[in-house]
Amino acid sequence: MKAISADNISPDNPVGHGPLIKIRAGHSPVASQLRDAWAHRELFYFLMWRDLKVRYRQTLLGAGWVILQPLLTTIVFTIFMNKLVRVPSDGLPYPLFAYAGLLPWMFFSNSVSTSAYSLFNNSYIVTKVYFPRLIIPAAIVGVRLVDFIVASIVLVGLMLVYGVNLKIGLLLLPLLVAQLTLFTFGISLWFSILNVRYRDIGTLLPVLIQLWMFVSPVVYPSSLVPDKWRFAYSLNPMTGILEALRGSLFGLPLQWTAVGISMALTIVLAVYFTYLFCRWEENLIDVL
Amino acid sequence: MRGLSRNSPTLGEAVTKAAKSSWSRKAYADRHKGELLWVLKDLSFEVFAGEVVGIIGRNGAGKSTLLKILSRIIKPTTGEADLYGRVGSLLEIGTGFHPDLTGRENIFLNGAIIGMKREEIKRKFDEIVAFAEVERFLETPIKFYSSGMYVRLAFAVAAHFVPEILILDEVLAVGDAAFREKCLKKMREVSQQGRTVFYVSHDLMSVQQLCGRILLLEAGRLIEDGEPVTVIQKYLDIVSRAENLPA
Repeated sequence: MKAISADNISPDNPVGHGPLIKIRAGHSPVASQLRDAWAHRELFYFLMWRDLKVRYRQTLLGAGWVILQPLLTTIVFTIFMNKLVRVPSDGLPYPLFAYAGLLPWMFFSNSVSTSAYSLFNNSYIVTKVYFPRLIIPAAIVGVRLVDFIVASIVLVGLMLVYGVNLKIGLLLLPLLVAQLTLFTFGISLWFSILNVRYRDIGTLLPVLIQLWMFVSPVVYPSSLVPDKWRFAYSLNPMTGILEALRGSLFGLPLQWTAVGISMALTIVLAVYFTYLFCRWEENLIDVL
Repeated sequence: MRGLSRNSPTLGEAVTKAAKSSWSRKAYADRHKGELLWVLKDLSFEVFAGEVVGIIGRNGAGKSTLLKILSRIIKPTTGEADLYGRVGSLLEIGTGFHPDLTGRENIFLNGAIIGMKREEIKRKFDEIVAFAEVERFLETPIKFYSSGMYVRLAFAVAAHFVPEILILDEVLAVGDAAFREKCLKKMREVSQQGRTVFYVSHDLMSVQQLCGRILLLEAGRLIEDGEPVTVIQKYLDIVSRAENLPA
């Protein structure tokens, strides 16, 4: 077909000052999808901002829940696990021990369970506008990270109350939080895309997360696990993360093998799930 | 651009081959076995900067699919397109509006979703508010807006988004006569700034008023490309012929 108005403009000499966008059949390289996601980072902030605003506006206690959720759970576990079952806590006061486990755990589990439905919940945007879909679960993890940081204030308070002495291991903390965030992000990506593909995953997820919590040292120390199971136990990346977080906060000795395994697994899984998500998001519309 | 299709089974060939993740591959191929439907096929055209191109055709002709491919919402099964510039697609207005957020907040949210930069939204904020005539309700959650206010606000944000290539799907079919006139005027302004506009509509009046060139799609093929009057005539012929056919 001939174009009507031409002047001196041709595809070889485009007047548009914007970038050249190539639409091709088949998959775009994952690297270019990630660059594109980075270029859309403002949208990531806006989606985070939207979720934070809406949440804090609609609820009675607003930000209070961010602190109350782990705090109340800690009280429940203190009563049942500590007072009734007498679970040990590596010589730490149990409430402090449990809160330091539940806080990162809730960041993880809340991110994953919210992300699992994120593509559905945002389908009214996804089907109308193009942007890298990765941003949607990423924004959810971002919001939960804010919650995590806010609720950390209580942890600092508890540490002051119980008079915890800070040790050099505390320097590891930023690295460990980064690892936790990366792992959470990877698993969130995976479940968000998996749940679109197989919708019953969403139904299974609460059970799965519950189970995962009990095979991770959230409300009991990993020292409770028999030695012969220790290696299998440390194949769960959350084991290394949670133990190292406590070790770093309270100056406990670190299980370097578990920490190493969990770091390596975190990176492998995060990369793989990101790749999977990028590959799959292109067919998303067909199933959403 | 040629042979664009969606949901076709020999997706097998295009998608399956590339799909490295085996778990999606098999399920996909199974689900689409034995069904072949090309939504768009063998169409190719070039559009130059500053052109306002209307796309018309009967229901199911492939108009929306074409727009979705150009907007990058769906991928073509085969074929390609090159776009020189930022693409803004307004397949609806007010995409992503959140009922609990205020008018002010929704301007920023919607702007970011359709692809505006924060700076750009800030710069045009007052203009958007004035265009939408919602000054007094800026701090009110939009769930309390009347549908007219809602639509005006949504259109105002969209109208102040000026990418190099603008894709519009029937968005003018909103609001009262006066507001529609205002919108048409705004669209003409956009094209006079050298922006390229794709406009899909069943409202032949607005297509003719707005577009300098029209593409006519029928059953996924491009069957006419040219002056509005000629193409619209051809379209009307097709429609009346279809109506006169015995069922």
